[in-house]
Amino acid sequence: MTTTPTQAVHWDLHYDIHLGATWSRFMDGLRDRKILANVCPSCDRVFVPPQAYCESCFERTDRWVELPPEGSLEVFTVAWHGFRGGPTPPYAIGGIRLDGASTLLMHWVIGLDFTEPTTLLAQLPAGSRVRAVWAPQRTGQILDIAHFEPDRD
Amino acid sequence: MPYRAAVVGAGITDATSPRKQQLSAVELCQQATWAALDHAGTTPDTLDGVVVGNIDGFEGTVLGARNLTRALGLGADLPVTIINTGGTTGGNLMQVAARMVRSGSHARVLCLGGPTFFGVRDLQSAINTNSPMIIEQPLGMGAYHMGAFAANAYRQRYGLTPEDLAAVVVADHEKASRNPHAHLRYTVTEDEVVNGRPLSSPLTQPMVCPVSAAAVAMIVADADDVDDLRSTPALIRAMGMSSDPYLGGGKGDFAEMQNLATLARRVYALADVRDPAAEFDVVEIFAPYAHMQPMQLEALQLAPPGGGVELIRSGATSAGGSLPTNLSGGPKCTNAGVAGELAPYAYAALQVMGAAPEPIQVPGARRALAHGTGGTFFQFENLAIFEALPRSDA
Repeated sequence: MTTTPTQAVHWDLHYDIHLGATWSRFMDGLRDRKILANVCPSCDRVFVPPQAYCESCFERTDRWVELPPEGSLEVFTVAWHGFRGGPTPPYAIGGIRLDGASTLLMHWVIGLDFTEPTTLLAQLPAGSRVRAVWAPQRTGQILDIAHFEPDRD
Repeated sequence: MPYRAAVVGAGITDATSPRKQQLSAVELCQQATWAALDHAGTTPDTLDGVVVGNIDGFEGTVLGARNLTRALGLGADLPVTIINTGGTTGGNLMQVAARMVRSGSHARVLCLGGPTFFGVRDLQSAINTNSPMIIEQPLGMGAYHMGAFAANAYRQRYGLTPEDLAAVVVADHEKASRNPHAHLRYTVTEDEVVNGRPLSSPLTQPMVCPVSAAAVAMIVADADDVDDLRSTPALIRAMGMSSDPYLGGGKGDFAEMQNLATLARRVYALADVRDPAAEFDVVEIFAPYAHMQPMQLEALQLAPPGGGVELIRSGATSAGGSLPTNLSGGPKCTNAGVAGELAPYAYAALQVMGAAPEPIQVPGARRALAHGTGGTFFQFENLAIFEALPRSDA
């Protein structure tokens, strides 16, 4: 076995990202348990998270709507294997179509039985109804929604 | 179009795991560069530009490409253009070089892709930093986690089994076993793939590309100024790029590759391709995960919706089939970052130049399709069509 000479390099850097007016309004909404979206005046698509411009029409999206905290789970994956600095596996990440939204909102999904890995898709098939669960302490960030849980009613 | 651009030389180093690699990134890039120059039959003094790429965060420096080019020993006065489009960096190198040549501002440009994943110890953590900050990054997604969304959506849409995904992997490994430059050159069974270590459902470790160390270089030149060269040029007949929204949630449908389908229609029209399945002699597509190749074949109109796996199982995409695809073994078996993304272009060009490694050469290949993709949730796509340009002096 030959050795491969390497030497370690380490980065540990912190950044402050400016949210801007559009995402600040969205984050303020989350603090108040509201999911705010905005609408393209040209194509009427509803964006959540909101975006300042429509990427298709290049129009300013200045009309705001509140979406219900419920929708359909279109797709998800269970991360069995995480990575350094990431959440502790297993965890499920889903793409959720909130009722009235044109885009998917990515978030954690709970309620899966991870001891039955071969039945994951059957447990939450495409289109399953899910509902946002609010974090008890909300500080204006995406994890003010703790996760989405299956709406089994 | 004032000038036509062609690939006139390509160099691909043998690939290894990072652990076994004895050469530095610069040394691997030198090997690939000199192999490309040798293939073309020319010397560095005929080059008038370099297009090179890096991916921030993957290499422990944001100046990787700048320093790399300086150290190649090509001369002091070569202008360098640096591409940094995340996972599509390699796929975009030739697109940029070809635009430079077509515009007439440059006549002979080196495209260089190095081993970008080569040193990063926490690759999935680094990739998570490329996932959209604030909104999606806190959820914890590396590359294969993002890939898995499409795998599950595609499986559900068409009722595909884990064995169906495994069949794609079996075929890729069989092809890679015959490519001397490939990294994973062993064959696998469907059982081994299905029962591999689960990574992110439904993907198991064997369904996901390795981290490889290799370099790839290509020379893109004025197609009508090749008298001093010895290769058969691969004319870049048509090419294009397309992008989805940045946020993963902006994708319309994870079960089909709409962005690639749109790009394919555009690029096929440029090359007057009307019956794609019948008009390509060989295809190289960037399919690092098991579900991607069948989905891409469908988006490229090479298989009907939901029919990609069946096409692969039929042998049509294997050597000797009607649509040889990823005879290199593809990125599923060799993925060296920017080099890995440039590789489909290099292999496709080499095929129509008649200069692919002998065990994977498609006899008489005249028209090839090359593809790249990457970025968050594979938001960027790029495509090119190569045609053999027989030399008038041959």
